[in-house]
Amino acid sequence: MKKLIIVIAILFFGKGIAQQDSTAVYKKRVLEQTEVDFLASYYSQDGSNAAVSGGIGTEELTDVVPNFIVRMPLNDDDVLTVDLGISAYTSASSSNVDPFDSSETANPFQASSGASASDLWVNLTGTYSHSSDDRNDIWSGKLSISSEYDYFSIGFGGSYTKLFNEKNTELSLSGNIYLDTWNAIYPSELRPFVSDGDGLSNGLFTQNTITGNPNYSPVFTEFDSETRNSYSLGLSFSQIINKNLQGALLLDIVQQQGLLSTPFQRVYFNDVADSFIQDFQLADAIEQLPDSRFKIALGGRLNSYLNETFVLRSYYRYYTDDWGITSHTASLELPIKISQKFTLYPSYRYYNQTAADYFAPYETHLSTEEFYTSDYDLSEYNANQFGFGISYTDIFTKFHIWKLGLKKADVKYINYKRNTGLSANNIALGFYFVMD
Amino acid sequence: MKRLFFLLLIIGSLSSCVAVKEYEKVNINDPDMVLSQLKIDKSETTFQSYREASSGANGGKTGGGCGCN
Repeated sequence: MKKLIIVIAILFFGKGIAQQDSTAVYKKRVLEQTEVDFLASYYSQDGSNAAVSGGIGTEELTDVVPNFIVRMPLNDDDVLTVDLGISAYTSASSSNVDPFDSSETANPFQASSGASASDLWVNLTGTYSHSSDDRNDIWSGKLSISSEYDYFSIGFGGSYTKLFNEKNTELSLSGNIYLDTWNAIYPSELRPFVSDGDGLSNGLFTQNTITGNPNYSPVFTEFDSETRNSYSLGLSFSQIINKNLQGALLLDIVQQQGLLSTPFQRVYFNDVADSFIQDFQLADAIEQLPDSRFKIALGGRLNSYLNETFVLRSYYRYYTDDWGITSHTASLELPIKISQKFTLYPSYRYYNQTAADYFAPYETHLSTEEFYTSDYDLSEYNANQFGFGISYTDIFTKFHIWKLGLKKADVKYINYKRNTGLSANNIALGFYFVMD
Repeated sequence: MKRLFFLLLIIGSLSSCVAVKEYEKVNINDPDMVLSQLKIDKSETTFQSYREASSGANGGKTGGGCGCN
């Protein structure tokens, strides 16, 4: 059977390769002009299952993300892309890490307004790509750095793409490695219980009254290692099927190792008496998840040019991992060209997932378990997402800012709702320029 | 093994389709026909990778680089 598969593969792929371009063609620059994209988005969400407060409490979050992407032709064959993204967010998950740092009464359904309420994430990615003279081979290398208050990441990767069959078929192989480091921030009531901490003698407990169980004794030790490494391998195959139809199959395999728990996410046990300060329940423990995770995602895209007005973009993904999660994602988008310059983008996306083996809601886990989390991002749920966008295109780039001519502008609104109660809205803007 | 066989068969069959010539690719080259996510969808893919347990096979994050799932 193995031999048969190998023979079939050689025959088909051999045939494909044999059809590749054999005649020399005019060598067009891979990228004619420098392109500058400016993207910005505003995201907001709310719900009542915050992971930072053990599966109850506000999930309120807002995030503003400006993003600059510059693509520069270095010569006929090489392109350098620089992508700078900044995410400025305020969230309950940040603020309720320390719910006692403001003058208001601590409450899981009220985001604290203290110093921990906001943070900044910055990412810089550089990608260099080189194309062969016949444009049938493309190599690229990537380096990225991201940083936020409690997280630092350095990533690098590369890819090789082969086009053949008169550029009707494309195979691409990519690999990425991320070496990440947490600067673990623990819930404020647990910090006195670190190895050299002063426990219940800490000012938090002497200056506030513990109600419920006054003998507060959490299950807590600091994480030994704060590193998280991710290794991914991607394979994609795309094919022009006919003049109006093309599709792609995408495979990603990912292995993650290290600290996969989020250090500030609380867990409340069913078999431990509850302790409170003000209206906030003190953590029994923090989330504990295995130190490795193996993920496989298999996706497919099929895009159809229906006529001069309509294009249909479809996507499906199956995902599974060794934490017990499987998920299905399906989306449809129907670009409608209402004029030469304007296109509408109505879209719908359905998503579902099963729960991780280690998930249980608020006050359901037992203290005898090895792994536990009440993060609803790892729970069973389904989500519906509706979107609508408008795009403006000017191939003559009449509108100018300095030396930049506006080629295209986009705006898109998304409404996302989970059946567990979380709802989110995202509005994105995009301005795409070419340099004169 | 059977699944792998059928996958290879499908992939092989597709690659042996009659090639569409460059001058016939007007519709295929339409910007909305690209087989990657549209640029405007970048922030959408990012928030999904934070809020959902699954990721990958969509041109977005596959894991790492952020404190997300």
